[in-house]
Amino acid sequence: MDFEPNENQTAILDGLEQLISSQHVEAPKEGVLVAYSASLDAELAASGFLDIAREEDFTLLDAALVVERLARLPVSAEVAFSALVGPLFPAGSVQRPFALVSGNPLAPARFLTEARTLLVDQGDELLVIDVDPSRVQHIESLFAYPYGKLASLDGLPLRKMGAELAAAVRRRWRLALAVEGAGLMQSAIDTVVDHVTNRFQFNRPLGSFQAIQHRLAMAAGKQQSARWLALRAAWADSEADCALAAGYVQDAIPTLVYDLHQFCGAMGLTLEFPLHFWTYRLKAMLGELGGSSAQARAAAVATWPDAA
Amino acid sequence: MEFGWNDDQAAYRQRVKDVLAENLPEDWEERAIHGPGSTPVTEFSFEFCKILAEKNLLIPHWPVEYGGSATQPWNHFILGEESWQVGEPRGPQYMNVNWIGPVLMRYATEEQIARYLPPITQGSVIWCQGFSEPSAGSDLASLRTKAEKVEGGYVVNGAKVWTSFATHADQCFLLARCGPGKDGILILLVDMKSPGIQVKQIPALIGEGDIHEFFLTDVFVPEENRLGAEGQAWEIINYALQNERIGIARYAFARRVLDNVISELKADGRFDDPVIQDRAGRVLAKVEAARMMVYRVVDERAKDQPVSSYGSLARYILVQADHAVADFVLEFMPSGMLGGDPLHQAHHQRALYSGIGAGAAEIQLNLAARRHLGLPSEHSRGL
Repeated sequence: MDFEPNENQTAILDGLEQLISSQHVEAPKEGVLVAYSASLDAELAASGFLDIAREEDFTLLDAALVVERLARLPVSAEVAFSALVGPLFPAGSVQRPFALVSGNPLAPARFLTEARTLLVDQGDELLVIDVDPSRVQHIESLFAYPYGKLASLDGLPLRKMGAELAAAVRRRWRLALAVEGAGLMQSAIDTVVDHVTNRFQFNRPLGSFQAIQHRLAMAAGKQQSARWLALRAAWADSEADCALAAGYVQDAIPTLVYDLHQFCGAMGLTLEFPLHFWTYRLKAMLGELGGSSAQARAAAVATWPDAA
Repeated sequence: MEFGWNDDQAAYRQRVKDVLAENLPEDWEERAIHGPGSTPVTEFSFEFCKILAEKNLLIPHWPVEYGGSATQPWNHFILGEESWQVGEPRGPQYMNVNWIGPVLMRYATEEQIARYLPPITQGSVIWCQGFSEPSAGSDLASLRTKAEKVEGGYVVNGAKVWTSFATHADQCFLLARCGPGKDGILILLVDMKSPGIQVKQIPALIGEGDIHEFFLTDVFVPEENRLGAEGQAWEIINYALQNERIGIARYAFARRVLDNVISELKADGRFDDPVIQDRAGRVLAKVEAARMMVYRVVDERAKDQPVSSYGSLARYILVQADHAVADFVLEFMPSGMLGGDPLHQAHHQRALYSGIGAGAAEIQLNLAARRHLGLPSEHSRGL
């Protein structure tokens, strides 16, 4: 039991900080809903950060730490699926970036506008679809991810990979959601703590009012809980842990996002204020994989298979 | 970073489990439902703690010079986790080894250590903590119990309330006021058999042994029984409470009860209900979140890092988990609270107290807001 990064993990995170610094990643100055960085995505892929879990002497937990750190940036890139789901496939057998959907392959999917591969979890079957970018329709939404959908599958190469791989992809998708969600929560809380510390009303900082302090402390407790559940899930890579961590994050999102926006008032509703870059990525996650109930039920069934 | 147990820790846990299995009496479950402060559990604690002492499992984390074996803090926590899960056969004595002893080691005189530590290491003494008063609950600084300096010691007058274990206690870790403000508080180690002490148990929802009031009328306490200097009490209390906040592995008992209820729901053919699965999964997540938060604090201590505000966050999450399990049981297996399973009521009673004992959970939110998030004080003013 060790909650501090080991030597490898420290080296990875130090290297990642250098890359982030070299990319001059900042929240866009102009008011936009989506801040996707193709250059960051390309640099991460080229420098090997998205393939860490495939490397000898490195682990899925190491990859999860990368995902969590990058989720804290105001701009997004397709990191979590590549770093955590991608290693389920032999190197070179599928192309990143990935998009994932449950059930209907024509459903809107985040990152599909950028993706080269669409993974479709149909329960007892996994569809692997090679994406032709010219076939993807862009979707405008409030969510701070790029979204797209396919109008049809006609002519697109499609492979059926079976139930076992479908279950593995679902497990890693849950893990990706949990780890990324924990990182998003952290930056969202940091942004609001900064706001309520510097915003004065009634001749006091907003953050000095106990009503706000308690709810922010509760948010911090949930964020930290989400973080450790997610990282434990990455370490264990088990059905129960991954479902539990994803369910915890999805369960926490509504209250946490409500509170954070509430404390920023109308400022938090504007696109010039960066809060939505994290909260509206969290909201995008709320309905994935069937929502929090599906994860809770999966965790319960995996934890107590023979409890009678 | 990794979240497994090493071979030594796994072996230690197994050893603790074996000792519990070999030494808990056949009727232990019936005794344990009464809680750590009850007469049956307190009486058994003398027998059981003596066995633990013989097996070097009572104070393994204490330094060698105080009778321990300086084992890693994780081992002590594993011992506490396994003990709380089965109903805490150490009874009130868990408090002795968790924080009374360590506080004495840090602040007591050589004479005090020679006098007070041996009974703890032998498992033969019960302590209570005389903190709360009718007008000083979470706001300890407003306590009124008065310690008047007299020749050779202090004369103490006042009242304490909500005190656990007081009926059976031999000694009390007592806070009293010798002057104004926080600097006017001192700590006295009081013999509970001293003339002038009257203890009264208060009937409560949480069962026997956990809530008392006691009155001190002209109680003489020798000066050599003062812990630390006058005015040092606040520092000592903070140190003590840091050890107390996550000292009980509440999630371990909560998880046992949750597992138990799920087994019963399965046996009744009800676990296929997706609503029950949903609720069980959500409650399970809270329990496991609490486990990880507490482990994070233990890891900090195991590395001898400065005590952070993380314990406050962990305590709040722990309380939420305990109540989530209690409410799940009430909603889906209420028969347990109506005589069907005394274990359920025992957990319910402990959960009721989890957010109140050792300082209200909301105080932890105050601390987390200020110390973890760095939010400004309520006295901040600007412009």
